[in-house]
Amino acid sequence: MQATKRHLFFAVTLIIALLLAACTPQSQTPAPTSAPAPTSAPAPTSAPAPTTAPTGGVVSATPGLDINMILLPKFLGIAVFDQAYEGAKEAHAELGNKGNLIFTGPTAENSVAGQIETLTNAATQGVKAVMLSNNAGDQIAAAAQAAQAAGVKVVTWDSPIPSAQGESVFVAQVDFNETGRVMADMALSILGPQGGEFAILSASPDAANQNAWIASMKQVLAEPKYANLKLVDTVYGNDQSEESYNQALALVDKYPNLKLIMAPTTVGIAAAAKAMTDEGLCDKVKVSGLGLPSEMASYTLSGCAPQFALWSFKDLGYLTYYLAYGLATGQLQGVEGERFNAGRMGSYTIEKDPTRPNGLRVLMGPFTVYTAENVNK
Amino acid sequence: MKAKLRRLLSWEGLLLAILVLVAAVNANLAPAYVSLNNQINLFQLSIEKIIVALVMTFIIINGEIDLSVASVMGLAACIVAVLFDRGVPMEWAIVVALLAGVLCGAFNGFWVAYVGLPSLAVTLAGMIGFRGVARILIEDRSIGGFPAWFTALGQQPLIGPFPFSLILFALLFTLALIVLQYSGVGRLVYVIGHNAAVARYSGIDVPRLKLGLFIASGLVAALAGVLLAARLGAVRGNTADGFELDIITMVLLGGVSIFGGTGNLAGVGLSILVILNLRNGMSLLNVTGNVQTGVVGMLLILSVLLPNLAQMARERWQRRAVQRKEVQTGVETSVSS
Repeated sequence: MQATKRHLFFAVTLIIALLLAACTPQSQTPAPTSAPAPTSAPAPTSAPAPTTAPTGGVVSATPGLDINMILLPKFLGIAVFDQAYEGAKEAHAELGNKGNLIFTGPTAENSVAGQIETLTNAATQGVKAVMLSNNAGDQIAAAAQAAQAAGVKVVTWDSPIPSAQGESVFVAQVDFNETGRVMADMALSILGPQGGEFAILSASPDAANQNAWIASMKQVLAEPKYANLKLVDTVYGNDQSEESYNQALALVDKYPNLKLIMAPTTVGIAAAAKAMTDEGLCDKVKVSGLGLPSEMASYTLSGCAPQFALWSFKDLGYLTYYLAYGLATGQLQGVEGERFNAGRMGSYTIEKDPTRPNGLRVLMGPFTVYTAENVNK
Repeated sequence: MKAKLRRLLSWEGLLLAILVLVAAVNANLAPAYVSLNNQINLFQLSIEKIIVALVMTFIIINGEIDLSVASVMGLAACIVAVLFDRGVPMEWAIVVALLAGVLCGAFNGFWVAYVGLPSLAVTLAGMIGFRGVARILIEDRSIGGFPAWFTALGQQPLIGPFPFSLILFALLFTLALIVLQYSGVGRLVYVIGHNAAVARYSGIDVPRLKLGLFIASGLVAALAGVLLAARLGAVRGNTADGFELDIITMVLLGGVSIFGGTGNLAGVGLSILVILNLRNGMSLLNVTGNVQTGVVGMLLILSVLLPNLAQMARERWQRRAVQRKEVQTGVETSVSS
């Protein structure tokens, strides 16, 4: 009887607590500090109609507005995302944004749920723009659409939302088709005209950017010039060092004639190069792909990874910030053909994304190919 | 008066105090926290986990564990997606997914209840095996584009501002509360969890109850997986990966002993509220994922340590009291002789 009463007491307390939490009227809450400055133009709530193509002027964002923004990487602890934050901070300072630029992200294990959570809570917090490097595939589309409906601009960078649902514009680091050609050219230059077997070590099977690059590389490989390059397998290391390391070694075991591992991910390429170096396999299997000069320099000089390519993540963060700021202040509508000024990087145009039927993009480009000559520069 | 004091000092009382503290801090630091919209979001973001936590409470009180729940969730989500992708009507795809959940639960239950293998080992195998089946089914694809009514189930409000899954959770919580705390079956769950051997000699059909619990666990996990697919609108092989740890955390923090026999749903309900509100508050304050995981981990360590430390302290104190009494009586006898 005593126990029953006790449980009843807690059940009732629980319900009361719930009711109290749920029923507090919104009007009693103090005005959020993140309220948009009265000077900011009202953001359009409806989806931009394709007919409202602008007349061609280059939009320069008005500095000094009060816009809270979140830079949301796939997860924390990856050097390139920190570099993107550096770029975003630079733009934040240049534009004199009175609001906050917040750099936050989930853990690698909790990436999908964590990204959805941050995006969902962004609207609640009064954030006006989320800059997202998507790691959740289309699983984030619903949350992105809800955020847009609540007045949050969702600008993707590094990795877009595949269906483009809920996404304003994607800032593409390089032309995805160019990535395939750059990787194929590096493979050809490393393996020579006689070619040989090679394998791809990617991040996750659902990373839109990785998949687009791999698809474009396969297309390029069909050309007669690359006939001797034989792609034998594509494996995934989920952008985790240890997993990528093990996958690289597994590839060597599985394909005795393997000559090259192509990793279009900075984590994968560094892990593969370390694995080949540790096991003394560098003479037999070379490593290439997309990598960070700071992480790859020693492997490039040792000849283990003779060539790799990348773009500047700092510039990517910088450009993304300028675009997101313009959209969040309503000075950009996010429609095809719009042009805008991105500070030191010059002017850019919003265009149709050739890799995604319903997507819009801003193309940054170009690639830098690193070799022993320029890796330490 | 004394009873009231004891109630406050109980585990549930402590959780309630923590909850009030968390809510107060959140409301002060993040004004948006108290909005109804945010309160619904806070549940919605973890709704599948807390639904499974209800049935996990039964399993752990019963002295068992089910590590395979997240894999069953993922498998159910994958089955729904793959069948839909092949042109099966969504309604039937859901039915098949739920049946698969029942099968997974029956598989676990059979080995635990009728063969007598430890549930830790059996469900660990299930965790890997069911996830494997899910990955084989869906391969490296990501399947979405579900019918609008299905995604609306997970995303749109159904009654007032409340979405379907939240209403379902409220109903399931009430049902679980009645069954566990006020029914004969609930009493059996405790009795078996406290001492399975005694229960068996008292003529209780222990295997049947255990099998039933694991089937319920599989079914509810599959249901949660379907809800997750509806909320996310897309499924891939690692959907719900790692959720089992969050779910077990909620139950243990709720004061349910990992050894079985003790704990109750009120505690688990409070622990769910504490964890969700804590996470929500940290998220609103832009605390990074690394720190969030750390804080929840600390909470779990405390929840396991504190009751055990308290128990040890109490025992030592009692032993000392007894020793003191012995010494005193010893002195008295020597004087009188």
